[in-house]
Amino acid sequence: MSQQQVLEAQSLTVQRGGRPVLHDVSFAVGEGEVFALLGGNGAGKSTTLLTFLGLIEPHQGRAMAFGQDVQGNEDAIRRKAAYLPETASLYAHLNAWENVSYFLELARSPRPRDELSQAFDEVGLPADARDRRLESYSKGMRQKVAIALALLRSVPLLLLDEPTSGLDPVAIDEFNALITALAERGSTVMMVTHDVYGACQVARRVGLLRRGELVGTFEAPPEGMIDADELHRAFARSHAS
Amino acid sequence: MTALVRELRFALSERAVQLIVLIAFAASTAAVIAGIEAVNDQQALIDRLVLATDEERAVAVESASDPGDMAYYAFHLTFAPPSALAFSALGTRDTLPWKHRLRMLALEGQLYESDVGNPELSLSGRLDFAFVVAVLLPLLLIFLLHDGEAGERRAARHDLLRVTATEGRNLFTVRAIARSLLLLAAILIPFLVGAVIQGVGLPGIGVVLGAAALSLVFWLAVCLLTVRRVDAGPTCAISLLGIWLVLAVLLPAGGKLAARNVVEVPQGGELLLTQREAVNDAWDLPKPATMDPFIERHPRWAPYSTVSRPFEWKWYFAFQQVGDQAVEKISTELREGIKQRDRLMGMLSFLSPPLLTERLMTGAAQTDVAAFQRYEDCVRAFHGGLRSYYYPLLFEERPFDDSAKRELPKFSPCAQDSGR
Repeated sequence: MSQQQVLEAQSLTVQRGGRPVLHDVSFAVGEGEVFALLGGNGAGKSTTLLTFLGLIEPHQGRAMAFGQDVQGNEDAIRRKAAYLPETASLYAHLNAWENVSYFLELARSPRPRDELSQAFDEVGLPADARDRRLESYSKGMRQKVAIALALLRSVPLLLLDEPTSGLDPVAIDEFNALITALAERGSTVMMVTHDVYGACQVARRVGLLRRGELVGTFEAPPEGMIDADELHRAFARSHAS
Repeated sequence: MTALVRELRFALSERAVQLIVLIAFAASTAAVIAGIEAVNDQQALIDRLVLATDEERAVAVESASDPGDMAYYAFHLTFAPPSALAFSALGTRDTLPWKHRLRMLALEGQLYESDVGNPELSLSGRLDFAFVVAVLLPLLLIFLLHDGEAGERRAARHDLLRVTATEGRNLFTVRAIARSLLLLAAILIPFLVGAVIQGVGLPGIGVVLGAAALSLVFWLAVCLLTVRRVDAGPTCAISLLGIWLVLAVLLPAGGKLAARNVVEVPQGGELLLTQREAVNDAWDLPKPATMDPFIERHPRWAPYSTVSRPFEWKWYFAFQQVGDQAVEKISTELREGIKQRDRLMGMLSFLSPPLLTERLMTGAAQTDVAAFQRYEDCVRAFHGGLRSYYYPLLFEERPFDDSAKRELPKFSPCAQDSGR
């Protein structure tokens, strides 16, 4: 890999409640790369993400971000990373503007309204919905607001947990295009998912996690995408074994 | 500061916060209005009684042909006017007497004719502003803060907030402070309006604000520590309500009960009965049985102590005073007992911040036990002045003319009870 490494898991081992959740996981994600971590339920995908955010402490090994150990540098790393949780539970009593503005204020990176509007356009949030409280939104619409928030953070690293969960097929395509465009602009994206085809569409590399162990890595050919069928078979095999 | 302003705005957007702040504002407003009405009623009653007593006394004075008649028939109103701050903490003004209609008779019985003004209020307490600050404020704060972090975890927002906020986990502390400040403002605004209406000085306002702020800081710390240690909202709420119950209800009530058991205090009724017996018995006793103990205490009147007629006013008022002497021990025990119980409650208040808050506020409002005892001292001093006025007229038989009548003492509240 020629790019500078933005994320690196070095023999990462995590235990939760005395049970191993990640075991000796190592991988690296370069600058401007879209990396997907694929696995079934309980494979340790979200744990990996939360470890890079400093919300979970590794038992052994290290989670590195921007060349720094995450442990002890959480604040510095969080300032450079946007996180999109699996269930984008923004505040139901606020509208899209208010939600995004509040979270941007939390990050001390407020944006003018026209930039917010532009981000909503990019994620395809209908203009007539933006003034409505999120309590009237579908799951997909809420997800779009959360994605807009992640975009508006304008940070070099995006950590996405099941980002297309709840989105309709058209929105998924739009989202994938957005992620690809962001990567082309230099953003590094690590997403965890159990959607084999979605991962192949957007990621240049996919790591396959099984019961906390990285059992394989698939890389797209220079001018193409990862073979989804091959990945699917590997996923199914790892699941069955 | 920016984070605090942001969280204040955010808190105001939440319905639950709006509701609790509204409840706090309504309770505080109701308490302030009720307090102002109560002290205004008390002041109006004092004003009416002063007028009525003045008129009645003028008739008694004018029609009196001798000092004994005047001493017997003239009533004197004594009172402790409510302080400007009394509306905020009615304290003992609900349960202990703050006015008496006295005559030149034995004093102690007149003082304790009514032990308790409103016995039911001595049990339950009144919804005054001190109650709102000491008892309701922590309860509402618990409602506001118990689910702060747990609610965000339930909504799957906790991680996002921690990762996004530059304050990290301190975000929840800033949030708790913002909500606490909103609650404090909702409670204090009605008080400040009331204080301006009642003409409370800045030091008085300062003490109340200080007491409210101390109460808030204590309960905020309790809430933050509990929320940090307990993950589930309902468990957190139960833990905090348990702490509130112990500190705001069980400790003060248990302490009151314990103080009553530890410090035995004679009843006012017992004092009244003993004195009446002493006074009534005097009618049937030989005159020296009254005059000897009287003279023993007041040798100044010895040259005039012979009672030759079946009824003489000086003998009558001497046996009233001897009646007071007969209950001196009970009276001292009663006073000291009340003081001792109050001291115990004062010590206990260091374990119970709600009790401490209430005591700070009643102290500032001069509605505490100490203020009640100061008023009693003031009444005793006035009654002593009456005796000093009448005894020369009764014993030395000094001329009882208009100029002598004009010298009849009139009660005016002592400095610390001078109210507004």
